[in-house]
Amino acid sequence: MRKDLERIEVPGEHEARERSWAVVQAAFVEREPQSRRRSWKPVAAVAIALVALAGLLSPPGRAVLDEIREVVGVETAQPALFSLPSSGRLLVTSDAGAWIVDPDGSKRLLGSYREASWSPFANFVVATRRNELVALELDGDVRWSLSRPDVRFPRWGGTQADTRITYLSGSELRVVAGDGKDDHRLARRASPVAPAWRPGPAHVLTYARRDGFVRVVDADRGTILARNEARDVVRLDWVADRRLRVSPTAAVLFDDSGQDVLRTDGRFSGAALSPRAQQLALVSVRGGTSVVELVSRAGATRQLFSGRGRFDGPAWSPDGRWLAIGWPEADQLVFIRVAGRQQIRAVSNVSSQFRSRSFPRISGWCCAP
Amino acid sequence: MGAGRDERASVRAAQRGSASGIEALFRLHWPRAYRAAFLVVHDAAAAEDIAQEAFLAAVRNLDRFDRGRPFGPWLHRIVVNRAIDWARARQLRGEAELVDAQAPEYSAPLDASLLGALATLPAEHRAVIVLRHLLEYTPGEIAELLGLPRGTVNSRLRRGLDALKESV
Repeated sequence: MRKDLERIEVPGEHEARERSWAVVQAAFVEREPQSRRRSWKPVAAVAIALVALAGLLSPPGRAVLDEIREVVGVETAQPALFSLPSSGRLLVTSDAGAWIVDPDGSKRLLGSYREASWSPFANFVVATRRNELVALELDGDVRWSLSRPDVRFPRWGGTQADTRITYLSGSELRVVAGDGKDDHRLARRASPVAPAWRPGPAHVLTYARRDGFVRVVDADRGTILARNEARDVVRLDWVADRRLRVSPTAAVLFDDSGQDVLRTDGRFSGAALSPRAQQLALVSVRGGTSVVELVSRAGATRQLFSGRGRFDGPAWSPDGRWLAIGWPEADQLVFIRVAGRQQIRAVSNVSSQFRSRSFPRISGWCCAP
Repeated sequence: MGAGRDERASVRAAQRGSASGIEALFRLHWPRAYRAAFLVVHDAAAAEDIAQEAFLAAVRNLDRFDRGRPFGPWLHRIVVNRAIDWARARQLRGEAELVDAQAPEYSAPLDASLLGALATLPAEHRAVIVLRHLLEYTPGEIAELLGLPRGTVNSRLRRGLDALKESV
């Protein structure tokens, strides 16, 4: 009987073994050995005891204690990501690789990739390894791959019928068709910032340059359509008829004609335009606190959420009703409802859920499945 | 099914952080873990997920693993229990949905052979047959692995084998 059971042909055994080995190996490399975990516990215990003693003995010590008592994170957070608050799928990258999270909270590890980004209609994912650009099916199958040095910031744009992917290879800005063909250099001396595609069929994108300018270019013809001086750009986005450029001290919105129509000053670490570009979500840093704000087209500002430490994101839900931010210090994902009655939902233990030592990044929230 | 010296050495090496240790464990146990999962769930993609998850659980709990105990039974317990859960869930979802969800390259040929005969059995019966006749555990060990009374294991084995004899 054993021989009969061993003779049964199991389809795709070799490929399954190699795929799984890659995942297991990545998880093993990222795991924290117990000896290291053990080592900090006595140190932490002594530190806590000393702080407690200092708190009892001196006013400055009591101040330290008060600081420690201040809770970092949403207290009512759920212990696991049981579901998403809205439709669409989250794309998350962690030390283990790129993950797709479905609305019911189920997760699929696509493979060991450093960065990932949705295709325009979320039918595919483009991901990177150090020297490889990879187009993936949603089950993790590789559709095609392209070996290039030091690949970063992949972004996929276009229509259902005709798409392009842009990415950085070192400081070169490159473009490849959605089927993996016709890869070519579009520009040299690009800054390490993700480019952004203009929505629609025109294959126009914006990118930041090391010479302190942001350009808008036609990716098919290589022609420069616009250029603005802007140093230290941290984020570019393009949704509907609004193009966003964020530097550490200002967020500027441009309309289709290239005219700047809104400017907000502050110390910004992140920003995202809502799905129809009716609102702009901004993350700013004030002292040791991060603040999420919403800015309307008219410029009206509303504070949504704040907390100690740094926030990652934000990312909009596909229906524009929720914002997702990462809160590394709290190891939480925070979902903020911005339409109707404001609501906060948080999820704790995010790093371990994505098998990661560092805090995972939200790489996109796209499109109802 | 005792733990061999090589296996213990691999566990010890992996616990110390050696990549070759974990690779040795993976290469040694993957084929049977994957095959066992496949024979219970009859779906290659699901079997891959189940076997992979079992190894990831092993990696997560490596530091707590007792080196004096064999690695295989611990892994097989996870694999077979998850495979049973998956097969039960599939029954609940209905087959029509599954046909759509299954990738074409993973369509297993369910003919009149042993595989086809196995497919006619309930998942719980398939699991004990796989544990007994592929992984070669005793009924007592199977009872312990699955948390079942030994009598239940014996009756499932008997009924399962009778059904297989009729089908093949």
